[in-house]
Amino acid sequence: MIEKNKPLSIVKNESEQAILKARAQALAKEPEKIVPASELLEIITFRLGGETYGIESVYVREVYPLRDFTPLPGVPAFILGIINVRGQILSIVNLKVFFKLPGKGLGDLNKVIILHNNLMKFGLLADEIVGTASVLLSTLQLSLPTITGVGREFMKGITAENLIILDGDKLLNERKMIVHEEIAFTASK
Amino acid sequence: MGPGDSEFNRRLLQTFRVEAEEHIHAVTSGLIELEKSPTSERYAQLIEAIFREFHSLKGAARSVNLREFEQVCQPLEAIFSRLKRGEISLEPGLFDLLHRVIDFLSEFSSVSGEKRTSAQRSTQKELIAQLGILTKTDSIAPEAPKPELAADALQDSSKEPEIENLKPKQKETSFGQTVRIPVSKLDSLLFQAEEMIQTKVTTQQLVAELREIKSALASYSLSSRQWKNRRNAAKSSEHEELVSWCETHLDQLHARIISVSQTAEQDFRVMRRIIDDHLEAMKQVLMLPASSLTETFPKIVRDLAQQQGKEIDLVVSGDDIEIDRRILEELKDPFIHLMRNCTDHGIEKPARRKELDKPATGKISIAFATNENRQVEISISDDGSGIDCNQIRELAIKNGTVPSEAAKKLDSREILALVFQSGFTTSPIITDISGRGLGLAIVSEKVEKLGGSITIESTPQAGTTFRMLLPISLATFRGVMVRVSEHLYVIPTANVMRTLRVKTEDIKTVENRETIRHNGIIFSLVHLGEVLGLPEAANSSASAFKGHNADAGSVTMVILANGDSQIAFLVDEVLEELQVLVKGLGQQLSRVRNISGATILGNGRVVAVLNVSDLMKSANQFASIRKHRDGGEIARKSMRVLVAEDSITSRTLLKSILESAGYQVTTAVDGADAFARLRSGEFDLVVSDVDMPRMSGFELTAKIRADKRIGELPVVLVTALESLNDRERGVDVGANAYIVKSSFDQSNLLEVINKLI
Repeated sequence: MIEKNKPLSIVKNESEQAILKARAQALAKEPEKIVPASELLEIITFRLGGETYGIESVYVREVYPLRDFTPLPGVPAFILGIINVRGQILSIVNLKVFFKLPGKGLGDLNKVIILHNNLMKFGLLADEIVGTASVLLSTLQLSLPTITGVGREFMKGITAENLIILDGDKLLNERKMIVHEEIAFTASK
Repeated sequence: MGPGDSEFNRRLLQTFRVEAEEHIHAVTSGLIELEKSPTSERYAQLIEAIFREFHSLKGAARSVNLREFEQVCQPLEAIFSRLKRGEISLEPGLFDLLHRVIDFLSEFSSVSGEKRTSAQRSTQKELIAQLGILTKTDSIAPEAPKPELAADALQDSSKEPEIENLKPKQKETSFGQTVRIPVSKLDSLLFQAEEMIQTKVTTQQLVAELREIKSALASYSLSSRQWKNRRNAAKSSEHEELVSWCETHLDQLHARIISVSQTAEQDFRVMRRIIDDHLEAMKQVLMLPASSLTETFPKIVRDLAQQQGKEIDLVVSGDDIEIDRRILEELKDPFIHLMRNCTDHGIEKPARRKELDKPATGKISIAFATNENRQVEISISDDGSGIDCNQIRELAIKNGTVPSEAAKKLDSREILALVFQSGFTTSPIITDISGRGLGLAIVSEKVEKLGGSITIESTPQAGTTFRMLLPISLATFRGVMVRVSEHLYVIPTANVMRTLRVKTEDIKTVENRETIRHNGIIFSLVHLGEVLGLPEAANSSASAFKGHNADAGSVTMVILANGDSQIAFLVDEVLEELQVLVKGLGQQLSRVRNISGATILGNGRVVAVLNVSDLMKSANQFASIRKHRDGGEIARKSMRVLVAEDSITSRTLLKSILESAGYQVTTAVDGADAFARLRSGEFDLVVSDVDMPRMSGFELTAKIRADKRIGELPVVLVTALESLNDRERGVDVGANAYIVKSSFDQSNLLEVINKLI
């Protein structure tokens, strides 16, 4: 009984001592290199049509599950429709269509990544949210000759792991994303 | 100076700004009235009033230590004091100077000290110098040219004329009964009040649901009793016990549901009343007299007229009518545009007017009047040159707005309506006042957005009148919900003339267009789904109309009206009329054809609200390009396919691919849902996802194969799983085909299905 009341921190043998010493040393060591925050890109990674993309988390307000949506007649095909996010109406963009990626494949497309800045807000469809990551800006390859098509101008770069980083700012400021349709007049006969 | 002091100063300055604005405003109105050479009595009153305004303004500036401001007010006060005494008189030159000074003051009061530019400082010096000349007794101004006036003024000032009458156009409410509240605070209150509509709608739906549960329980109790009576004879006591246990509990549950449902219903009634009253009261709070909008107009017209070298009087009447502030706010730009239009295109230069035997001074009249429908009618008219219909016709043809043949057929009213089209201007030269050709289109769009309409009348050489009909308050929006295929839409009740059910044989084709006669009027008839551009397969009204549907004897339509035009739209069903809160479509969808917004139903479902003005235009456009449909190609295959897929996007995609290929498609959200549907309906084929909650595609296939009735049904599995094992498992459970999602495309799906059925 008395034995059990002894403080637990007492180190019993040398091997334990060695382990602790090693730990203390490891903790005492200066980190190898401090990467300034400005060189890191905080991103959210997601899968869409068999590719993995990343988008800077500063532009992401939240990730929302897509359970239902209301299609709108007469909008461009890249607009899937509108949804209700806690009482507000949000439009949903299918990047696969906007980037004119080949139509092959049937994804889940049941996650919405809500992108926003002070002027614009819309949701991006994704098959799956992979997680968050930090990417060193310097490791980004700025352009890859094999990537062509509309999507290319919205890419910030590509990582060594073939992760395509999207330019959130550019997507949010893109004029072509905005739908503004007037009805032209034709006289009735 | 501590931070508290600077905060205090900031607030003081803010108060000063509001006060200064009011004084400046009163002075401006006074000056404008003075310019219209009022009676000598009124003249004296106005001079006195303006003098007092400047005096108060000077005092206010001094109290917040705005020396520069005070320096400008000083000579102004002096000038009016001299005017009062009749030592100088008001001349056109002086008016212009005074207006300039006032513009300067109003600009000056709106910026803080540090931000003042050197240009402003030099203007200030110049103005003070000019004013200074007039304040000196040995000024060049002629000595009292209106002696009788001066005498009046002297008398008046000695006996202090009635103060209440002095302030031009300012209506004073008795002191102590009113508080000044920033509009932004009221707006947010109103917004909150409006958001409560959503709660009301949701609660209403909940109450309805409770009612359904109540009746379901009642029918369970009943059938349980009937069952017991039938079996009463031959049952073991143990069984009996279980049944009566169930019955007791069912009864208890029923009783509780009844009481909950009643309470909920009562609560809902109370809530509905409170919310409605509260919203109405909030709206009343935000009603303002129309004069709050028009009070700046005399100055605007004066400035515009001066730029153009024209002489114009503005006459405003009926502006004591109270209108929702949000409407007034939205009306400001349209009004300014219309006044510009009158000044620029309407009223001629004085010389030209004399040639035409018109008074040299043109007139713009703005009149407000209410009608019995809680609407306000606003007319803006000028006595200018009017609009030449032929000129518009030619312009429309030249611009390609209207094909020349069509243009020849239009009557003068239709021709005039063209000026509301975007890109239209009648002014041969583009002046900086108007003539960019966008204005009237924007005006009409704004008015329509407020739920109003605008028309134009014009008589050559006699003038032009714009007439607007607007709601007095932004009514809580009521809409009629309609269904086209599985899509729901809300149509503003205000635009729905009536809903009808008519026999198909009553639809007549006239000149290749379908029409329907109702109450002696012939309406053209279009399919809402087609006008909206829904895919053909979704247009079930089309097939119903052709008699492929069991219910084909008659069709449902809504007759919609906008302005003068009325068109009948064919729908599948008219569901209900409801109060809705219309929300914008978000920043990305700035304007969507045929759709003005969306609303959220009690169950969270989002429904688009249709823009009837757009629909009418679309319907016209549509009618002219539409090919005459011929029967026969419909329902080439009327094979029924069940799609089971948990992802809403994939489900919708699969459905639309199959529908456009001519299949009748039913959807299910998972395997269990699919199996339930298969049991209760008739299907020719199943397309199912593999990975689904509750019941996977494998399990579903196995269950189908094990069922006697539907065991032979072809099953196509669509899956993200690519391994050979899974493929084998698919074959094992009895799937007929296996499509891998990564290589999915619409042709391989249709090919596979074609092979199977």
